[in-house]
Amino acid sequence: MKDYLKRQLGLFSQDERTLISDLNVMIAGAGGLGTNQAIQLQRIGINKIYLYDYDKVEISNLNRQLCYGREDIGRYKVEASVEFLKSFNLETEIVPKQEKITEETELPADIDIIFDALDNFKTRFILEDLAVKNNLALIHAGIEGFFAQLMLILPDKGSSLKDIFAGAQKNDVPDVFSPAVTVTASFQVMEALKYLLGREEALKNEILHIDMINNEIDRIEL
Amino acid sequence: MIKVKFYSLFKINLKSSGEEYEFDGAITATELISKLDADYDGYFSHKLLEAGEISPGSIILINGHNVIHLNGLNSIIKDGDIVTLFPPSAGG
Repeated sequence: MKDYLKRQLGLFSQDERTLISDLNVMIAGAGGLGTNQAIQLQRIGINKIYLYDYDKVEISNLNRQLCYGREDIGRYKVEASVEFLKSFNLETEIVPKQEKITEETELPADIDIIFDALDNFKTRFILEDLAVKNNLALIHAGIEGFFAQLMLILPDKGSSLKDIFAGAQKNDVPDVFSPAVTVTASFQVMEALKYLLGREEALKNEILHIDMINNEIDRIEL
Repeated sequence: MIKVKFYSLFKINLKSSGEEYEFDGAITATELISKLDADYDGYFSHKLLEAGEISPGSIILINGHNVIHLNGLNSIIKDGDIVTLFPPSAGG
């Protein structure tokens, strides 16, 4: 066991701890959700994070994308975020993947689950196709204002993102701010873990809707 | 009885989590929107429709199925169905 994980020791069985420490994930996007997911996944002590993004840091990112500061503006996100994450000297391997997600993207063979950290449905549908092609689960989230939705997409059963969110793409740029993004990314990490650990409470064929105004979380059956 | 559930901004704006309606026989999604419009001052056609079509960024689910994959606004809603209406969150 990694020496810095003592305070979460009691939460998981020996087998579960081994599973977590062997876990390799893909984070698709190093923006608001992706930087938050990476920070959480590093802290819980997984084995490896493949962090995908092709973009550079802009000033409008700094209200919620936790791996960047002003000095990073103009740098590639994966470069800046990997430098930030490595500065903590924890054991999770962080692999930068400076590339755009397309239908042709070749995924590493050792990924256990894909985290959706994208900001539009068009690319999410491509990511979902990649997940299906590679027989991988995908934990989706979208965030806008004080509301978010999550879905666990499994390659062989249940509803797909395209089933539910066809027609969801809009042209406007959504409002997003840090507390809501962090809550949402944390839920993605929690739900991915519950699924990977085989917990019966894991999301099934449903949408988890989070309303941070009314403090309500609904499971919308599909 | 048909259950209609509102989420996100719909719920906040309308201060309601949904409605339950009894109809004589099955209705279409368009007819449901008309009924909701009557109860909520035209809110839903404004939010869900654009030039008579489902507007981008709006989701209408009948028993968990997006009407886009059914028969669009002509999709049939019958007794016992659950209709879910919400603007999905796209950002990250």
